[in-house]
Amino acid sequence: MIDVINLTKYYGDFAAVRDVSFSVGQHEVVGFLGPNGAGKSTTMRMLTGYLVPSGGRAVVAGCDVMNDPLKARSLIGYMPENCPLYPDMRVQEYLSFRAGIKGVHGALARKRVESCLKQCWLEGVRRQLIGTLSKGYRQRVGLADALVSDPPVLILDEPTSGLDPTQIIETRKLIADLGQSRTVLISTHILSEVEKTCTRAVVIARGKVLAQGRLADLCPPGQSLEKMFLDLVEEREAIGA
Amino acid sequence: MQQEWSIGLAVMAVAGMAALALLAGFVWSLWGARSLLHKEFFSYFLSPIAYAVLVVFLGVQGWLVANTLELLQASGPRGVEWPLQHWLASPVFWLVFLAACPLLTMRTFAEEKASGTLEMLMTSPLSDWQIVLAKYAGCLLFYVVLWLPTLVYLPVLGGLELTWTKALPQLTMSTDPAPILTTYLGLFLAGAMFLAMGVCVSSMVRDQLVAAQATLALGVLFLAGSFAANSMDGGAGYQVAYFMSVPLHFDRAFTRGVIDLRPVTLYVSVALFSLFLTVRSLESRRYA
Repeated sequence: MIDVINLTKYYGDFAAVRDVSFSVGQHEVVGFLGPNGAGKSTTMRMLTGYLVPSGGRAVVAGCDVMNDPLKARSLIGYMPENCPLYPDMRVQEYLSFRAGIKGVHGALARKRVESCLKQCWLEGVRRQLIGTLSKGYRQRVGLADALVSDPPVLILDEPTSGLDPTQIIETRKLIADLGQSRTVLISTHILSEVEKTCTRAVVIARGKVLAQGRLADLCPPGQSLEKMFLDLVEEREAIGA
Repeated sequence: MQQEWSIGLAVMAVAGMAALALLAGFVWSLWGARSLLHKEFFSYFLSPIAYAVLVVFLGVQGWLVANTLELLQASGPRGVEWPLQHWLASPVFWLVFLAACPLLTMRTFAEEKASGTLEMLMTSPLSDWQIVLAKYAGCLLFYVVLWLPTLVYLPVLGGLELTWTKALPQLTMSTDPAPILTTYLGLFLAGAMFLAMGVCVSSMVRDQLVAAQATLALGVLFLAGSFAANSMDGGAGYQVAYFMSVPLHFDRAFTRGVIDLRPVTLYVSVALFSLFLTVRSLESRRYA
C-alpha cells in the first residue's frame, strides 16, 4: 500500500533522509521509529506531498506521489506533528471545512463529520472553538481531520505526543481499530507505543533505515524493543562519528 | 480601412476568447476549492481588523460623497462637472484605499505559515493554483462587499428620479450612467491588482505586519506617480507617471466614462503576474 524506494532529501548540503526504502502492506499498522531529528517527519512530509524528494520515489496505493500528487494526497489522511489547526473555528465547522477541501461535500460530508466526531470522542465539544481546547482534544481533532475523507492510508506524525496517559491509551485503541480497515504509518519516538499498536516497525536514525521487520523478528527472545533500539542507534552513532 | 477594422475585430475576438477561457479556468478551479473560498471569505467577519477597515472605509467614502454633494448643489463657478471624479480625486480616498488592501491581504498566507496550518492545506488534494485562487477570491469578495454600501450614493449622485406617467413608474437619470459603470469597473480592477500584490507578498513572509508594510510600499509605487505627474509637462516622464499612477487613471479616464485599455492591461497583467508569483512561492516551499 505504501512503497518507499530510495527516498532522499537534502536541505542544502545536509542530508536529512538518505536512501530510505520500506513498504507497508494493506491493513498493516507500521511504526516509524527514531530519535529526534532522525528524518521521520521529513519522510512523512515527502510521502504526503508537502516536500518534494531530492531523489527516489514513493508510491501510495499504486499512485506515485510525485507524478500524480493530487490523487495520491486524496488517498492519504495526514496528521502532522504538533497538529496545526485554526483556533478561531469550531470543531464541527473545521471538520466540515476539511471534508470540503478533500472533495467530500453535502450529505456525505455531514455523515462523515458525524462519524468522525463520534469515533474521536469529540461529540461533546463539537461547538467549541478549537483555540479553547486542551492539547488532547486538539490531537483528536487532528485525527478526526485525517479520517474525515475516509482515506485508505493514514500517516500520523507523533499522534500521542503531549497527551495524558488516559488519552494515550484511548488513542492507541483507536489506532488499533483503524488498522483493521486501513493502512497506518505512525511515527514516534515512544517505544512502548510501537509495541502496543504496531505489527511491524521501521527504525531510522540520521536519515538512514537501520532495521525493519516484524517486532518479533527485530527483537531476539528475551530482549526488549528498547534495548534493540538503543543498540541500533548507538551503533549508528559510532559509525557516524 | 476595412482591412484595419477586420484585423482589429479579429484581435479583439481572440483576446475575448482567451479572457473567457481564463475566466472559465478560474471558475473551475474555484469550484473545486469552494470550501476554502467559503472559509477565507467568512473568516473576515471573525476578525476585528476587517470591521475596522469597513468602518473607516465607509466613513471616509461618506464624507467624500457629502463634499461632492455640496459642490453639486453649489451655484456659480463652484460647481462640479464630474461628481465621481471629485469623489475619487481626494488624496484621503487614495490613502485609505492604499491602507485597506494590505490589511485585507496580510494574513492570507503569512498567518498560515506562522501557525503551521499551511502544511495542512498543502497536503490536501488541492493544487497550488486552487489554494492561491481561493484565498485571492476570498479577499476580492470582501473587497466587493467593502464597496457594496456605496451603491446607495449613486441614485443621489446620478440624479435618479422616479416619475409616474399614466400610472406607470418611470426611472430617469439626469446624468450619464457610463461614468458610474466605468468607475466601478476601474475600482474593481485596481482593487484586484492591489489585492493580488498583497497576497503575493503575504506568501513570501511569515509575519503579517511585514506583509502589510511591504504591500503598502509596493502600492505607493502605483500611487506616487500622480503627485509627480502634476508637476510635469506632457513628455515621456509624464507618460511613464501616467502609466503607473492609478489615481491619474481614474482622474483622466474611468470617472469620465472612458475605459482606457492601458490601465486595464496594467491592472490585469500585474494581478495575474502576482498570482503566478504566489503560486511559485508556494511551490518553492515544497523544494525547501
